[in-house]
Amino acid sequence: MNETTSTVADEVSSYGEILARDGVPAALISMRDIWRTYQMGEEQVHALRGVSFDVQRGEYVAIIGPSGSGKSTLMNIIGCLDTPTRGRYWINGKLVSEMDDDELARIRNKEVGFVFQTFNLLPRATALHNVELPLIYAGVPAAERHERAKRALMSVDLADRMTHKPNELSGGQRQRVAIARALVNHPSILLADEPTGALDTATSREIMNLFERLHAEGNTIIVVTHEPEVAARAHRIISIRDGRIEKDERIK
Amino acid sequence: MRLTALFGEAFRLALWSLRANKLRTFLTLLGIIVGVAAVITVVTIIKGLDQTVANTFSSQGSTVFSVSKRPMVILSREDLVRFNKRKDVTEEDAEALARACSSCWRIGIAANSPNALVKYGDQKSENVLVRGISLSMFAIDDVNLAAGRTWTETEGAAARHVCVVGADILANLFGGASPEEVLGRTLRIAGQPFEIIGVAERLGSIFGFSRDNFVYIPYEAYRRVFGGRTSIIIFVQARNAEELEATKDEVRTIMRNRRGKTFLDEDDGFALETQDVFLDLYQKATSNIYLVTIGVAAISLVVGGIVVMNIMLVSVTERTREIGIRKAVGARRRDILTQFLVEAVTLTAIGGAIGVGLGFGTAYGLALVLGFPVLISVWSAVLGVGVSSAVGVASGLWPAWKAARLDPVEALRAE
Repeated sequence: MNETTSTVADEVSSYGEILARDGVPAALISMRDIWRTYQMGEEQVHALRGVSFDVQRGEYVAIIGPSGSGKSTLMNIIGCLDTPTRGRYWINGKLVSEMDDDELARIRNKEVGFVFQTFNLLPRATALHNVELPLIYAGVPAAERHERAKRALMSVDLADRMTHKPNELSGGQRQRVAIARALVNHPSILLADEPTGALDTATSREIMNLFERLHAEGNTIIVVTHEPEVAARAHRIISIRDGRIEKDERIK
Repeated sequence: MRLTALFGEAFRLALWSLRANKLRTFLTLLGIIVGVAAVITVVTIIKGLDQTVANTFSSQGSTVFSVSKRPMVILSREDLVRFNKRKDVTEEDAEALARACSSCWRIGIAANSPNALVKYGDQKSENVLVRGISLSMFAIDDVNLAAGRTWTETEGAAARHVCVVGADILANLFGGASPEEVLGRTLRIAGQPFEIIGVAERLGSIFGFSRDNFVYIPYEAYRRVFGGRTSIIIFVQARNAEELEATKDEVRTIMRNRRGKTFLDEDDGFALETQDVFLDLYQKATSNIYLVTIGVAAISLVVGGIVVMNIMLVSVTERTREIGIRKAVGARRRDILTQFLVEAVTLTAIGGAIGVGLGFGTAYGLALVLGFPVLISVWSAVLGVGVSSAVGVASGLWPAWKAARLDPVEALRAE
């Protein structure tokens, strides 16, 4: 009950915001003049200097750039782990750039599924429990939670590894657990940060194939990477350099 | 629903970390275990003592009081000097009460010689309480005999050298002979022969002091052997507990008249006491013990709480990345806060439970050695676990708050 009302309230307020400015962005993700500035002692460091782009529902986007280009900062902002210093950012019509900590936590829970380079699984928990984690914070009842977590693990072909702990799984299997965890709460975007960075070539290919399949099933995917082979799988590549978008090209 | 899921998750986590670091957990909880165990032990033992004391003093009952020159408990030298200046309480006082006191049911007199030497053959026993008593004292003190009889009125009046002995006399002078065997034997008390005509039932000991190391002899015989110039104690029994106060008032009035005291005199010139004096003293002593124990427990709980806080801070640092992961998948500040608080409380509650167990165990062992009943009270167990849980909340709050405030980006970057 509560959840419905708060969601409605979010939408109403962001709708008001939008009307007051330049209209409702129809895109799933919409960034307008995003700046992120860090204070390093006396000096101000601009990690992002006015980034603007849209991502439509169902797109498969790669964000590439050399280290220090600001792509990690951009990923953190897309994933709502961080907030921009300036500029506006909408996910799914919600103006997240103005949200507080707890509202951002809810967006991360409902709208974003993270896949990390180092998997970031809880080491002491089983695969099943790791996948259940977002559902616990979403308040899903235990029985439904198990059911959905099992289905998510099945969809990444790990039906026989549910009770294993991360240290009993191979790198590729761990990353697939992480992908199941990212997908279990049906997020709007799947956000992957160097998802194959810790994997060998064969396993990398396997994971990228899985991404392709998930995309084909209708998921919106954003991959942050510096590997050209990984980026080449996407349908659109956004290149970042010195905190700005250098190139934004559709390749498929 | 969300809350139960969160508590389930937090509780599961708490058990994980306890199992992962058994030794560390134990050391962390030591302060709390000791604090709770100390309180439980002391409370349990004092409860047991209370029971013993209540049983002991109820043998004379709440209808008996004594009239004596000095009170049973004297707290200062000045008081002792003052009491010694009073007139002796004498047989004449007792006779006057017997004549004039209409509400007195029984009146008895006693004179004590606390450290008399008693011999049988070449066996001797020091520190025996030799008591010269009137026959009525057997009824007032509710003395039951294991064997033999008390003396008769005639024997008493004739100052016959007969005696009734306590169970310790059999053990110390007769090598543990049975009560029947010693009847008719002759003891030497202060050099005079006394024939044993009765043996009292065993009363047991209190605080390690035996209550069976006595010899009762007729008051008239006592006076001849020990001399008549000591002050005696008069025991008065009221008909029932309701009349006790009225009886005390009547006795007080009669005694004050005999001492020539007017209503202007503050001091009675004698002490009129029930056994409540001992109970008061006992309660004062135990309440002090309670206070000291609570002090010790409070200190160990505070120290224990600081240790728990310290270990929780370590735990937050160690698990920074885990906190980052949880935040990334949607944990809010209050979710992380709850998690670490539940963990701290689970930890300390387990410590409290161990302390309760240890405390009951220690109390049981001590009670077995010292010989009094163990009364396990549920509320002290509940309180022990409850207080240690509260310590968990207090010491977990700051670490949990630190964890909740972590920045997710920073936390995910941690090793």
